[in-house]
Amino acid sequence: MNLWRLERLRLLRTQRIWILLAVFAVFGVIGPLSARYLPQIVEQLGAGADIPVPPPSPELAMSQYASNVAQIGLLAVVFLAAAALAFDAKREMAVFLRTRASVRQILVPRYVTTAAASLVAFLVGVGIAYAGSWILIAPPDAVDTLGAAALLALYFLFAVALTGFVASLVRGIPATALISVGVLIVLGLGSLVPAVGRWLPSALVGGFDAVIAGAAFTYWPAVTTTLLLMAVGVGASIRLMARREL
Amino acid sequence: MNRAAVGTTELTKRYGATTALDAVTLSVPTGSVYGLVGPNGAGKTTLLGILAGLRRPTGGSYRVDAATVGVLPDTPSFDPWLTASEVVDLARTLTPSDVPASAVGSVLERTGLDDVANRRVGGFSRGMLQRLGLAAVVVGGPDLLLLDEPAAALDPAGRREVLDMVAALKGDATVVFSSHILDDVQEVCDTIGILRRGSLAYEGSLEELVAGPDRLPAFEIEVRRDAGAVRDLLRSCDWTTEVTVEGSTIRVTARSSAIIERELVRCLARANAPVLSIGPVRRSLEDVFLEVTA
Repeated sequence: MNLWRLERLRLLRTQRIWILLAVFAVFGVIGPLSARYLPQIVEQLGAGADIPVPPPSPELAMSQYASNVAQIGLLAVVFLAAAALAFDAKREMAVFLRTRASVRQILVPRYVTTAAASLVAFLVGVGIAYAGSWILIAPPDAVDTLGAAALLALYFLFAVALTGFVASLVRGIPATALISVGVLIVLGLGSLVPAVGRWLPSALVGGFDAVIAGAAFTYWPAVTTTLLLMAVGVGASIRLMARREL
Repeated sequence: MNRAAVGTTELTKRYGATTALDAVTLSVPTGSVYGLVGPNGAGKTTLLGILAGLRRPTGGSYRVDAATVGVLPDTPSFDPWLTASEVVDLARTLTPSDVPASAVGSVLERTGLDDVANRRVGGFSRGMLQRLGLAAVVVGGPDLLLLDEPAAALDPAGRREVLDMVAALKGDATVVFSSHILDDVQEVCDTIGILRRGSLAYEGSLEELVAGPDRLPAFEIEVRRDAGAVRDLLRSCDWTTEVTVEGSTIRVTARSSAIIERELVRCLARANAPVLSIGPVRRSLEDVFLEVTA
């Protein structure tokens, strides 16, 4: 038994990995389905009213998936990360680890495992949405899909890092998760401000739709900021948690 | 003189306006079992937390002369989905020294958890968690053990096992043992520190504490009848300093143990006193504790 195996067991025995995979897989199915049958759904619900809907397309299928996981999937990732990274939420559990290993040794496996689980769940969802689109509509452009998926994947990794940083500022899993979600919402609103929006990590979410639609890749400012913030956040969380008294 | 495994000098810890530790200076001899006692809120857990490196002192200094330190919190807690065996194995692998995997089974056996080694700890009682915590501490063979109320939640049999384990560590490791159960402290500790409102009210051996440096030796005599007459007789003796009666029991205090041991029986025999029993008055640790922490 070591700290890496401990994290793998945490994901498996708490069933969190299956819940996470289920969330992303369900949206992977719903995305292409809703894109394919949106006109019929609107027609049924519209009761004769003329509501314009975009025609089914692979881009729409992937965008539907992205917009769903950027909300519900993001919440699942944040709660998963909070449960793993707020490791000193319970003093007695933290005493066991803190008196035997450094905070860096404790947190690195937690960051890596949570990030990997989130990434795998997201990519499984992308794969399902891609296959669903192929079957129901047409195959999305593979290169555009990869580029768009990379942007959103980076945003999920940023959410993990942000949650870890928040965990080092407050104590407790619910507080960590709720504040992290709050910060992500504020960042999302910030991306609407033209001057700063393109530098914020939340620009990566909007970037998915643009890149999948074949637009030019103009997201390097957001990618740079996100990578920088992730590095600073992870480093700061390790330092702050090491200083926190139990 | 025995080298100190733990030493603190004027150690102080404040939480805002509250002083949890107030200039505590203590010394724990290497290889000893040091009992840290005091009422709730006296600062025991704070002191152990500082020695474990989990809290920073506000003032003063401390020194821990041990390569490996094992810490047992008062209510040990573990991820509920781990088995007892996995918890101890994790503790083993996180130990700097090279401890063989076979140590896990033997430690679980010593703590009476071998039957539940493969059960998830989520269903464990508080007593079982306390034993598991102790198993996780001792598996690494630490030089210094900081045990916060290690027997508090245990049944009599479990308490006996824990006390035996702590007693067996004496000499091989240094143990700082905080407890409210004074009988446990009296049984396993050879040095004691009493904390009162964050200050060290007493530090020294148990014998010295119980005897008391300024206390005059006293005997109690139980007589069948005529307690008043025996009291008057003893009061007339020039070696007594105080004689009191309560029912059929007379308490005699003298200037020294030698005098009282020599003169008391002689005096009672001369008076033909109907004596049922004679014995020295011994103070319990509880009496002393209440006195010191009052």
